[in-house]
Amino acid sequence: MDSFINAVVSGMISGSLYAAMALGLTIIYGVSRVFNFGHGIVAVMGAYLVWTALNAAGSTAWFIFGALIALAAMYGFGLLVYRFTINPLLKKPNWEISTVLFMLGGGILLENLLLQAYGPRVKSYPEFLKGTLQFGPIQVSYQEITLFVVVILAIIGLNLFFKYTYTGQAMRSVAQSIPGAKVVGIHIDGIFGLTFGLAFLVTGFSGVLLSTKYFLTPHIGWEWMIKGFVIVAFGGLGSTNGAIFAALILGIVEAIATLYLGAIWVWPIWFAMFLVVLLIRPQGILGGRV
Amino acid sequence: MLNALKKLSWKSTIAILAGLFILLYPMLGASAYMKHLFILFFIWSIVAASWNLLMGYAGINSLGNVGFMAIGGYTSGILAKSLGLSPWISILIGGLVTAALVTVFLGLPALRLSGIYIALLTLIFADSLSSILTQTRAITGGAMGLHEIPGFIPNMEKIHAYYICFVFFLAMLYVIYRIVNSNNGLAFVALRDSEHLAQTLGVNRYKERLKVFAIAAFLTGLAGGFYVHSLGDISPATLGIEPFLLCIAMVELGGVGTFAGPVLGSAVIVFGSEFLRLAGTLRLSMLGLLICVTILFFPGGVMQLVEQVEGWLKERFRKQSASKYPAD
Repeated sequence: MDSFINAVVSGMISGSLYAAMALGLTIIYGVSRVFNFGHGIVAVMGAYLVWTALNAAGSTAWFIFGALIALAAMYGFGLLVYRFTINPLLKKPNWEISTVLFMLGGGILLENLLLQAYGPRVKSYPEFLKGTLQFGPIQVSYQEITLFVVVILAIIGLNLFFKYTYTGQAMRSVAQSIPGAKVVGIHIDGIFGLTFGLAFLVTGFSGVLLSTKYFLTPHIGWEWMIKGFVIVAFGGLGSTNGAIFAALILGIVEAIATLYLGAIWVWPIWFAMFLVVLLIRPQGILGGRV
Repeated sequence: MLNALKKLSWKSTIAILAGLFILLYPMLGASAYMKHLFILFFIWSIVAASWNLLMGYAGINSLGNVGFMAIGGYTSGILAKSLGLSPWISILIGGLVTAALVTVFLGLPALRLSGIYIALLTLIFADSLSSILTQTRAITGGAMGLHEIPGFIPNMEKIHAYYICFVFFLAMLYVIYRIVNSNNGLAFVALRDSEHLAQTLGVNRYKERLKVFAIAAFLTGLAGGFYVHSLGDISPATLGIEPFLLCIAMVELGGVGTFAGPVLGSAVIVFGSEFLRLAGTLRLSMLGLLICVTILFFPGGVMQLVEQVEGWLKERFRKQSASKYPAD
């Protein structure tokens, strides 16, 4: 029983990290209906940039400064990607599949450039907090608790952003109806661009969190991305809350499956759950429409 | 006879000449390596052409076609190697198994979904396939894959495989040509271009989509069978990111939704990627860049260039003949 409770707790923690990663996907899809098939590599890129900042910085203050610059670079990268590649593609009739294939190709390109720059060796972030919390039967390391809290704070921050800022409200209105947003004078292209920037920033940050718990290689992005795909489809494409719930559910399922059946069964079980959800409720657990 | 020759367009002339060249090439002293590349070209162009049937003609955004190929290849390889079935039967069974599995696991769910969900579902399907293949070592050989799969005939040499695959290639192209130009093909295209109009005109979306999934999977599964029996081995690496990207590049580069596009694209990719080996570790980056550039700047692929050149030539030709015989 103790191991079961511990599995649930650790599942919730990895689930929260997956949620952070899936957010970037669902934000872009929700607003612009573009599905980012280069999502994994964006997360990896953010993680590598922050890792570089960590290694270059001498003190904590410099590290925070460097990390902020790295995340700002991710934001700028998102804006550039949208402005110069996605925007022209969206004007063509078969934009849905062409953006998918474009992102796939671009992802491979970036992945191999990162491989050239950083080499194939596994990188990892150092443990920044030592010790474990013992609470009844539950054992959690302080580091994992911190990651969980950071994710929760980030999610609350994002929700506040969407709810109270002009840009956030504009993004939500574009997500609901593009013609309606145009009528009230929202610049669609501009909002799409900002959405890409925001999503790349969030994704890069989630890459940092994931590689703090696990590890970092240029290729790990595909694994993260496929997990992200299952999560967003499970939760309902474009629904942020759906993605968060789905990530927690799948994280807990993963931990329990690993405990009782072994790690190799995680993926078949995820795929089976994914199929069942698609068959019964194609719009996902919290999604509004297909 | 002569009249028939005169009617041939320059495109068919080139195609026939290329076919003759391929037919005679081994006798003109092709190296074993070149024969190997041609075999790869025959098989991959069928995979690309049936992918194009699904993506280009029917507008179903499948990303799992390399997975279909692996199912066909593995089924046929296992049947021929472990059970000693004749490859000719096992390839057929492989194709049927692929069609059945794909229809049940992808076709039926995909009927209820649209657009991006199908891309997600098929990609995840192909991805889980490789982990299943790695786990079932007793049957599929695990991560090492299957080796020493028997050839089409006992003591098969490269040249036999070359001609067998060439015949397969021509036959499959003919089948795809007939499908595209049949009522079914028209129905696929109608569903792609205007789903609601097509349905109003009596096209059954449910039936046609299921059909196109089954056909594409069957053809790709057959190609997988020919792949394993001519090359002798297959491993989960076939499902890796590189073959997947190569195949996408073939379809995209050739021209989505055109009949000759995937064949041209796979010729460019199969022979071109050998040159890219010179780029060493940068090979995959170049492939990614190639896909990005094609989509951004030449969305119609090689076929678009061909059409443009043809249009330009016709224009010039017309001007010349106009100046030669001025109208009164």
